[in-house]
Amino acid sequence: MAVAVREINGVELEQLIAEGKVLADFYSKVCGPCKMLSFVLNDVAKNVDNVEIVKLDFDENKETVEKYGVVGYPTLILFNNGQEVERLKGLQQKPIIQRMIER
Amino acid sequence: MTVKFKEFEHIISEQFRTEEAFLAEYQKGDYSFSNPYVKLNPYLIAPLTALIMFKTPEPTDVTITVKGKETAGDITFEIKTATEHMIPVYGLYADYANQVELVLTNGEKTVVTIQTEAAPDSVKLPSKIETTPEYFGDNMMFVSPTSPASTAAYDYKGDARWYGTLNTAFDIKRVKNGRLLLGTHRLVTPPYHVTGLYEMGMIGKIYKEYRLPSGYHHDQFEMEDGNILILTQDLPRGTVEDMCVLVDRKTGQILKSWDYQKVLPQNVAGSGSHSSHDWFHNNAVWYDKKTNSLTLSGRHQDAIINLDYETGALNWVIGDPQGWPQELVDKYFFTPVGDGEFDWQYEQHACVVLPDGDIFVFDNGHWRSKVKENYVAAKDNFSRGVRYRIDTERMEIEQVWQYGKERGAEFFSTYICNVEYYAEGHYLVHSGGIGYLNGEPSNRPPVQYTGKDKENTIFNSITVELKDDVVMYEMQIPANYYRAEKLKLYCAEDVLTLGKGELLGTLGVTEEFLTIPPAEEAGLVPQLYNVKIGLEEDRVIFKATFEKGQMVLLQFEGDTTQSYFVPTTKRPFLAMCVGTFLESDDRAVEFPVSREGLTGEFKITLIIDENKFETGLTVQL
Repeated sequence: MAVAVREINGVELEQLIAEGKVLADFYSKVCGPCKMLSFVLNDVAKNVDNVEIVKLDFDENKETVEKYGVVGYPTLILFNNGQEVERLKGLQQKPIIQRMIER
Repeated sequence: MTVKFKEFEHIISEQFRTEEAFLAEYQKGDYSFSNPYVKLNPYLIAPLTALIMFKTPEPTDVTITVKGKETAGDITFEIKTATEHMIPVYGLYADYANQVELVLTNGEKTVVTIQTEAAPDSVKLPSKIETTPEYFGDNMMFVSPTSPASTAAYDYKGDARWYGTLNTAFDIKRVKNGRLLLGTHRLVTPPYHVTGLYEMGMIGKIYKEYRLPSGYHHDQFEMEDGNILILTQDLPRGTVEDMCVLVDRKTGQILKSWDYQKVLPQNVAGSGSHSSHDWFHNNAVWYDKKTNSLTLSGRHQDAIINLDYETGALNWVIGDPQGWPQELVDKYFFTPVGDGEFDWQYEQHACVVLPDGDIFVFDNGHWRSKVKENYVAAKDNFSRGVRYRIDTERMEIEQVWQYGKERGAEFFSTYICNVEYYAEGHYLVHSGGIGYLNGEPSNRPPVQYTGKDKENTIFNSITVELKDDVVMYEMQIPANYYRAEKLKLYCAEDVLTLGKGELLGTLGVTEEFLTIPPAEEAGLVPQLYNVKIGLEEDRVIFKATFEKGQMVLLQFEGDTTQSYFVPTTKRPFLAMCVGTFLESDDRAVEFPVSREGLTGEFKITLIIDENKFETGLTVQL
């Protein structure tokens, strides 16, 4: 049971979220909580299945950021079959993210 | 070692040690009525107070008069019969040879001269004071700062007759035992959530600290049985200022709590300062016995809500219904009625339930709309005290009194402020958050400005009292003050009690961070981070300077290792209600860790980005 965390862009996100569960992390390179969240997501990825975990640079994906109304970083959005089902703002601990995915 | 380390006492312990020292000094001397022992600022934090001690052979009353600079400034108080006398002296002037007159029942008199030091610049001088000694008497107007200034109390002439040296914040209320309840100066989390409340005598002695796991903010209310309603939050869930708790006065334990997330949607009807983190921004609480309910002000939903005390169920909401779900509007909101003028309140503070059930509020009016396109700029806006009459059967509301609208932008405060009710037609309206940026009325709380803007910011605070619509008192001070509270310095119930104060309640266990990032051993932490670690009785306080965006983990390595994530990215605070805790260097970080749950010997280390540093410190907790 494990998935890999990978970096994608906004166009790839649109394709990816159409089917199945996708957890998108909108992050910034100049944000301490974002750096830490990236380690948390790596940790989460070891214990989950049936979900894509992806990261999008907040500053390099402005259109996507605007489309999904992301107003700060880090922001986690969980999509299921194209629909946003949950959003968490700020640094989160592993159990909270895991519960979000497994719900 | 590149890390500065300091062990320091809690103020309660420091005061106790000081008390024992001055009592020992007194016992050693031969003090009498004609030669009394005098201790200026006996509890270290109230420099315009003193204690006079002496013995008399027979029991006698003592009348003390702290002489004013003119007769109207005299403060007189009678202290009841004793032979061992501990006479508190309140109302001294700073930088002045104060004359204090003591008179016994038999008419015997002695005069003591008490020389005080100059007050620091943080004790601001009023730029305007208009009242009469006949109206104001020996009352003092206490103000608690939100911009760099001291908590201080001013007489009818605008002279400071009391000030505190601790950075206490938010509300000041006198409770039934005559003491004051005010926010502690111990930070829990930036920008202004503090550990709890101090119960303090006017002499500056702290008798109790009521601690809460997620701290205190804004307001408190003493119940009839002495227990205290305190505004708080549950920090680990990521939101702030959305809970109220009832705290046992004797033990400090939480007896009951009200969670507004259970009764209100969080992402609707946001005011101009709304954020998901600070979605309600509860800045006032009032218990009403007649209706057995809590009335709570939520700045970030422009709403005053009323909850059933027993069940926590929502009873009603006062506010502009725009943006709220229709089913809530239909059930809980009021319809304005009456022939007079009516305005809803926006980003209000300080809801007070009056004896007849009216709701008295400070309507800041910040943005004055729920719709961004209709926001009203500060230069065209107003703030006011407003009294609403509500009919909870017909769900109708009428505006029955207001003061401040006619003063326009001059009286406009984007944040903080309060109102007080003394009697019918007799009110206080305090607009304490006035600001100007580059000479224009400020659209944001002026304490939020940094850099060049900060240099071009002017603060003001206007406190007004009205009796039958006549202004009886007005004071202006060039700073921002959260609340104004008129009190007398002397109060028969506030009797000095010797002995050590109590630390009640708990700070809880600081939330650990569960993920540990990989890091290379990198030796001692470099000087450039300016790391300071303080050890207090119930906290370890970590201070350092980091660049924005650095990832920092503080670790306590013992039999087990506890790790704490230290935020270095400043949250864009939209509601900087108290700016007195802000460091001048915005890279400065302060992170307190509760000692609860930490027992044993711990090596303190730091992970900064990809490096792990030693601090060289091992502490016994």
